[in-house]
Amino acid sequence: MTLLQQFILPRLLQWVIVIVVGITITFLIPRLSPVNPIQQALGRLTQFQALEPEAVLQLREQLMANYGLEGSIVEQYFRFWGNLLGGDLGPSFGAFPQRVNDMIGRALPYTVALLTFTTIMSWIIGIIVGTLAAYYPGRLTNLVAGVMIVVYPVPYFIIAFIFLMAFTYYIPFFPLIGVFRGEPFEAEFIATYLHSTFLPAVTLLITGLSFRFIMARALGTAELSSDHVQYATMAGLPDNRLMYSYVARNTMLPQVTDLGLSMGAIFSGTLITEAVFGYPGLGDLLLQAIYQADYNVVMGITLLSIVGIATASLIVDLSYPLVDPRVRYR
Amino acid sequence: MLRKCIFVAIALLMLVPALNVTAQPSGLPVDVPREELFVMDQIFRWSVIDNYNVWGPASGTPHRHALMFETLWYLDQETGNIMSGASNEPPVYNDDYTQMTVTLIDSLKWSDGEAFNADDLVYTVETVWSTPELSFGGWHAQFADFLESVEKVDDHTVTFTLNRPNPRFHKNFEARWAGLYMMPEHAFSQIEDLVNYTYQDGPYLGLYAPVEMDPNGFWNLFKKRDDPQNTAVCQYHMNEDCGPGYVLTILYGDSTKKVIAMTRGELDAFMNVDFEAFESLLASTPTAKSWYPEFPWAYPNETSSRLIRFNFDTHEWTNNKDVRWALALALDIVQMQTEYIGGVAKVVYVNVPYTPKLAELYYNHPRMQEWVENLEIDVAGEPYKPYDATVADRIGEWADEQGYAQPAETAAASYGSGWWKYDTDTAAKLLEHNGYTRDGNGDWYTPEGERFSFSIQAAPDEVDSFRVANAAADMWNDFGIDVELQGLERSVWSANFETGQFETDAPWLSFVLPDGDGWPQMRSYHSKYYVPAPELHNALGGGTPARLVDPVLDELIDAMESLHPQDPQNLELVHQYLQHWVENMYYISTVSFKKFVTWNELYWTNPPSAENDVYMPLYWFQGGRFSIGGLESIGG
Repeated sequence: MTLLQQFILPRLLQWVIVIVVGITITFLIPRLSPVNPIQQALGRLTQFQALEPEAVLQLREQLMANYGLEGSIVEQYFRFWGNLLGGDLGPSFGAFPQRVNDMIGRALPYTVALLTFTTIMSWIIGIIVGTLAAYYPGRLTNLVAGVMIVVYPVPYFIIAFIFLMAFTYYIPFFPLIGVFRGEPFEAEFIATYLHSTFLPAVTLLITGLSFRFIMARALGTAELSSDHVQYATMAGLPDNRLMYSYVARNTMLPQVTDLGLSMGAIFSGTLITEAVFGYPGLGDLLLQAIYQADYNVVMGITLLSIVGIATASLIVDLSYPLVDPRVRYR
Repeated sequence: MLRKCIFVAIALLMLVPALNVTAQPSGLPVDVPREELFVMDQIFRWSVIDNYNVWGPASGTPHRHALMFETLWYLDQETGNIMSGASNEPPVYNDDYTQMTVTLIDSLKWSDGEAFNADDLVYTVETVWSTPELSFGGWHAQFADFLESVEKVDDHTVTFTLNRPNPRFHKNFEARWAGLYMMPEHAFSQIEDLVNYTYQDGPYLGLYAPVEMDPNGFWNLFKKRDDPQNTAVCQYHMNEDCGPGYVLTILYGDSTKKVIAMTRGELDAFMNVDFEAFESLLASTPTAKSWYPEFPWAYPNETSSRLIRFNFDTHEWTNNKDVRWALALALDIVQMQTEYIGGVAKVVYVNVPYTPKLAELYYNHPRMQEWVENLEIDVAGEPYKPYDATVADRIGEWADEQGYAQPAETAAASYGSGWWKYDTDTAAKLLEHNGYTRDGNGDWYTPEGERFSFSIQAAPDEVDSFRVANAAADMWNDFGIDVELQGLERSVWSANFETGQFETDAPWLSFVLPDGDGWPQMRSYHSKYYVPAPELHNALGGGTPARLVDPVLDELIDAMESLHPQDPQNLELVHQYLQHWVENMYYISTVSFKKFVTWNELYWTNPPSAENDVYMPLYWFQGGRFSIGGLESIGG
């Protein structure tokens, strides 16, 4: 009862508040933007046409009705919550009459697959190699550390561009955009998926790995100089036990936080990667939606992102006592 | 442990691409022999998948309307000529322009073998007219505004009766970008919910039918009909089997990726790239070419032009004609065109692109030539002739100095019209005459004693407009005015001009259509559509971001409205409009549109070009169908 009342319930309440406030802000921000979706749609639908002014007015009214933008902002807000609780994110303005649910549903698997793999792999490899580098300093580990330290500050888009040029132009081995063929889980789809996803995955892996390697190495090095590790070393504990039970485990708290938040952020997509490699995920969808003032798509993706990060924070928060016995429920 | 990890990682890295080499030998997403497949740059990513209902608001029309659809006529931007679609005769109006009769070609068939006839045209018009949701192109609203009835006279003749005179009603069926797309009456009359119908299975009247689409919207594959001889495009080309067997539209992305794709042989045509990317393409791909085989390479005749626009509503200084002229005379157009634009766009002194047809109707027309050469403005009480006819020649000389081989045609044909003298002394006189002062550093101050400063807004992704703004800002700063260049994301930039949140900006437009008619483009400048900022500039349906009010323009616009586009009196009125516009320097016009529409003749040849200038190369417009249908396989 105490655990539920004092630890779990306040955090759940906080989670709900974060989501409600976040969604409300998400609803308001696009509407405060100077970009007007009706004007954008008018431009798109009538480009190069010489319309009668009366026709322009009529078309504008039609678009307002289509997009559900009639009524005051308060009416729109409550209508939005009503639709949202019914699981409907509304129609896309830029791709009317497609539903936002369908558009996100199409892009989400690509983003989740790419980012889950690269985040988890870079996390696991980064921690293992970083901790090993801290525990076994030597020529090889110093070399790896040197490479990681050089790679880490390089902006991601530079790394992405270098890989793009190297492996699509000088060695034209990979496709310039995501080319996915066949039905999901068929051999052809898997083969083309791996082929098309290789470059974006490698670039994300490299940048994620460099950060996590540096962090794990720094945390491991600090842990090695702590009193309890020094004591355990002097007590003659075996290397394996020292490294896993005394060094690695004590560095896990920030690592778990990093993993949790990174996994939560998956639902925001990875805009630069998707744009550079022509990868059809949430980031590219969000970019197009912002350009077109497509409120509903922007809100849908932001909603996912808010729920993802808030939920990840909640899980991380709740799992601290499991990861680190020094943390106690209070 | 570490060694094992590294080994496993390297093995995995090597394995993944190796697995796929057999599955995907090229970067193209379809299994069609390259000699049957024409690959063209898709100009954006489709957000609506597998929906070819181009009449509804879901429609994505670029490429598709050139490949799959048909309208009555096409207004070609290269020649200004009308090209035949489903009709090869001009519309016939009655004397007061309240009735229009159209005659259709009798040899066209839908892809299911059904003949195209007057029933289809009548059905299309009545359906769009009665269905507000079929709102694309504004045709529904146009018909609701003007149409009284549409009737079939015989199998290939249709008469439209209008509720008031309209000598331009046929423009609804004449594609610059698009004309009303014909519907198959025999098929659509069976569809209950046409608004939500996705039209994936035809029948189509165009040369191609869609056969495969990327669920993510990056590409779309089209197959040629089995009966190409029954399509308007093959009948135009007098070739019963015109055009490639398959067309793939594919979105690679930015200039770099398009150039890489073309060097890899995975792209046969692209819409545009930046100047630098085009130069690198020429160096790596000898089979690639744009409009001219040599400098200035790019296609120069898309009907639009770059300008600097003033906001007459919210900033008082913009309403001073002398100040506007001073700003024009403080610009060195030759430097702007060469150093900023790379020498590859035609100069224009008014917003009429310098296409062959429009040059003949406007720049080289005796009435306009005489006017501009003798044009005088008042500079502090003294007459001053601002026109400099040597601009095109000087750009040609610059190109010579750069070592560029140039086309044999005249400098004007390559580099456009004359422009205003670069004369900062006269610009200074104009400002001083209006109370502006200059300090010892050469900095200008307003009559109120404040630093003369303003901003110019432009969207960096519209490269030439941004470069025009950049050049103007640099030159005006050199002249002593404090000008801030603001590069804004396009949607923000357009939101700003729509609500009047700018002093000057760098948009693009044309005052005339490719055939020379001005009224459709000019009427929005009528003061009856004026609304003050920050209301939307088109809150009344017309209106322009400049928010200009000028009774002289109103009179000219009113006079043009009732005249047929080809009426000589209409041309005279457009001349008067342009002359009045320039005399007031309402906009500072700079250069025509140019695009590096580029074709790689590795697999396909005979694209439109300066040597084959029978129609435009703008393949993503509906009229781009002629350029695709005219392609010939390199393999024969």
